[in-house]
Amino acid sequence: MPLYLWICCSVALLTPALRAQTPQNAALAGGAAPVAAIAATNPFSSEADVQQGSALFQTHCAVCHGANGEGGRGADLTVGLYRRGGRDPELYASIRFGIPGTDMAPVRVTDDEVWKLVAFVKRLGSQGLREKAPGDPVAGRRVFQTMGCVVCHSVSKEGGTLGPDLTDVGRRRGLKFLAESLAKPEAEIPIAYRAVEVVLKSGATVTGIRLNRDDLSIQLRDPGDNFRFFLMENVREIRYDKPALMPSYAALDPKDFTDVVAYLNSLKGAQ
Amino acid sequence: MSTKRNPAWALAALLATLATQSLSAQGLPITYERLLQADQEPGNWLMYSNTYSGWRFSRLNQITTQNVKNLRVKWMFQGRHLEKFETTPLVVDGVMYLTRPENAIYALDALTGRQLWMYEYRNPERTFNCCGKVNRGLAILGTTLFMNTLDMHVIAIDAKSGRELWKTEMYDHTAAGGYAATGAPLVVKDKVIVGMAGGERGVSGFLDAYDTKTGERLWRFNTIPQPGEANFGTWAGDSWKTGGASTWNTGSYDPETNTLYWGTSNPWPDYNGDFRAGDNLYSCSVLALDADTGKLKWHYQFTPHDLHDWDSTQNPVLIDTEFEGHMRKTIAWPNRNGFFYLLDRTNGKFLSATAFVKQTWNAGFDLEYNGRPKIVPGMDPTPEGTDKVWPGIDGGANWMSHSYSPLTKYLYVFAREERRVFTKNEVQHPTTEPATVANRTGAGAFNRGRAPRFAPEESWGKAIAIDPGTGAIKWEHKVISPPWGGLMSTAGNLVFGGTLEGVIFALNATTGERLWTFASNGPVYGTAISYLAAGKQLVSIPAGDVIVTFALE
Repeated sequence: MPLYLWICCSVALLTPALRAQTPQNAALAGGAAPVAAIAATNPFSSEADVQQGSALFQTHCAVCHGANGEGGRGADLTVGLYRRGGRDPELYASIRFGIPGTDMAPVRVTDDEVWKLVAFVKRLGSQGLREKAPGDPVAGRRVFQTMGCVVCHSVSKEGGTLGPDLTDVGRRRGLKFLAESLAKPEAEIPIAYRAVEVVLKSGATVTGIRLNRDDLSIQLRDPGDNFRFFLMENVREIRYDKPALMPSYAALDPKDFTDVVAYLNSLKGAQ
Repeated sequence: MSTKRNPAWALAALLATLATQSLSAQGLPITYERLLQADQEPGNWLMYSNTYSGWRFSRLNQITTQNVKNLRVKWMFQGRHLEKFETTPLVVDGVMYLTRPENAIYALDALTGRQLWMYEYRNPERTFNCCGKVNRGLAILGTTLFMNTLDMHVIAIDAKSGRELWKTEMYDHTAAGGYAATGAPLVVKDKVIVGMAGGERGVSGFLDAYDTKTGERLWRFNTIPQPGEANFGTWAGDSWKTGGASTWNTGSYDPETNTLYWGTSNPWPDYNGDFRAGDNLYSCSVLALDADTGKLKWHYQFTPHDLHDWDSTQNPVLIDTEFEGHMRKTIAWPNRNGFFYLLDRTNGKFLSATAFVKQTWNAGFDLEYNGRPKIVPGMDPTPEGTDKVWPGIDGGANWMSHSYSPLTKYLYVFAREERRVFTKNEVQHPTTEPATVANRTGAGAFNRGRAPRFAPEESWGKAIAIDPGTGAIKWEHKVISPPWGGLMSTAGNLVFGGTLEGVIFALNATTGERLWTFASNGPVYGTAISYLAAGKQLVSIPAGDVIVTFALE
């Protein structure tokens, strides 16, 4: 199998459900207050706070972010990646002041309750923290490296960019998700990493990650990590039937498989 | 261009040319007579849909299917805001008036986009809009502009200076789950007609008329019957008090019968009908009202007891068309529920309904009950969410303008084919009080439903041309995403619109062929207008936070 097909685990990135407008000119829009004014760590992070945050979430957030934070009109919060930052004060600011230029409005609760929401939102996005993998993470790391996963995935800034960064995937994602991503990569592909096949009128076919698209053009990152741009007038067809560039590792030796999951679970990020 | 011009087409084109040539700058004031004959001033754009008939059709024909390829950016207005730009500007003899989020008004030189004056209304910190702090535009009468605000005021502004003339509170915007006003008002005679929003917040809907001189309220039509009124019994228990049925978009007007046509929103709670058994009149309906008194002449309910947030707040399109061999005075209505309706506008009689997008909820229309829909069982929202229902939450059509061309006799609709999930939520009492853990409010009050990760290509958009008499779709131009912008047609035989990715386009109105595009790269949440400045035809459309204006090179 060619190396470029060794595109590893499709672990989801933040997937804004709306085609969000890029926030710009926050100052002009009277946007968020400086984060520096907010406590650096959440003073309300006990289990009771998380539970109260859960109730508040149902009231104020579930409408757009889904009852289980799975997203909808708003972003998927189970992914544990946040466009406006995932540190406590950053999450606080997003909830307290809203996100200008999006439908994310300021949440009208008390300051203490904002912190409880922060606690719950972090819980939603850190499923891996409460799970311990049965395998051997050190052995798993060796398998990960020899299989070529690093060609496409980065861990702590080392590795490729064709697949999602895995630096903190063990915090954000539970064991079940990690195992499924290895065995069935196409089960859930973050929109920023969807593979497409562009069939040109010339007859050539180009495969790559879809970076953007409108009715006039499409932009890809090809398996060689090159940008590729095509005008739709030169395109015969765009195929979506193979959404993952990454192959399945379901046939991996069961111990290696379990060890790789354990290695991924051990990746808790730089925090 | 099609060579098969029929005589009506040629005549209309000639009239349009004459009208263009005879246009002289009359300037202000805009009298009611001028509004009645707005189609005689194709160089101006005098109300939201251009004319009272709601056609959003421009009789200008300098830009044609032949030369549209030479259309270039003439100027841009930088809004420098981050809210969706949903406004339809007005143009009066070289001056453009537009609203910018939240509730600012700008007067611009329409030839260059240079600012003449600016008025800014400051809303309180807490407003209760559902979907962005948006505003869709202005109305004008005499030398006065009218705007409604997110905090439920109607404001009159002097069009020459930008000075505020009067300000009237429509309603306490903090009542129930919160009221807001986002649509463009409509002036009829000496009244300014203003709607309100809040169908997601347990409000009680109404439509108001205010004295354009003083701001005094002249009538109010409650879209939910009050105790003792007809159809009060279509709401179980106390559900009428919080039933929604808002009026958040702009209506149309037929001067011949002095009838105002206005659409109403969904009932509340959107996705849970357990405690509001009944048809829930007059939600999801078109109302025909006497413009002088606000008295109801007739109504037609598109979606009785709606459970899918299928507002019927689309701009009504009034056309005289042949139906089953006879000319009829009709109202043409591509609805959020996915059907294109044709009604007799003189009496509300149901004539026909044809699906224009995929739909799963309807098994036909009962003609014995004036076209009451027959409902397919099993299409209600469920607690775990159902993905079996089409159209989606945002509908086959939404608030975006449709357009009717008297030249092609087609109705142009920018339709949505969208896969979504409908979830039934717990209902809470609506309030604008800040919530606490003990007092959980709003979850049911403002449930937009959730959309799991459907692949993008499972949803798309399409500009379509509908033959109103038969409901037949004559052509379709597909785009990759369900749109949030509307369409404008012109006497140059063109249809203009823009996509969510910011592709602004012109289509051949006869064939749907795409003749011109511009990659604005800002999402289009509004609809184009066309007008004259210094004798040249311009086309303006909001994209991102910019108003882009095009002219022939």
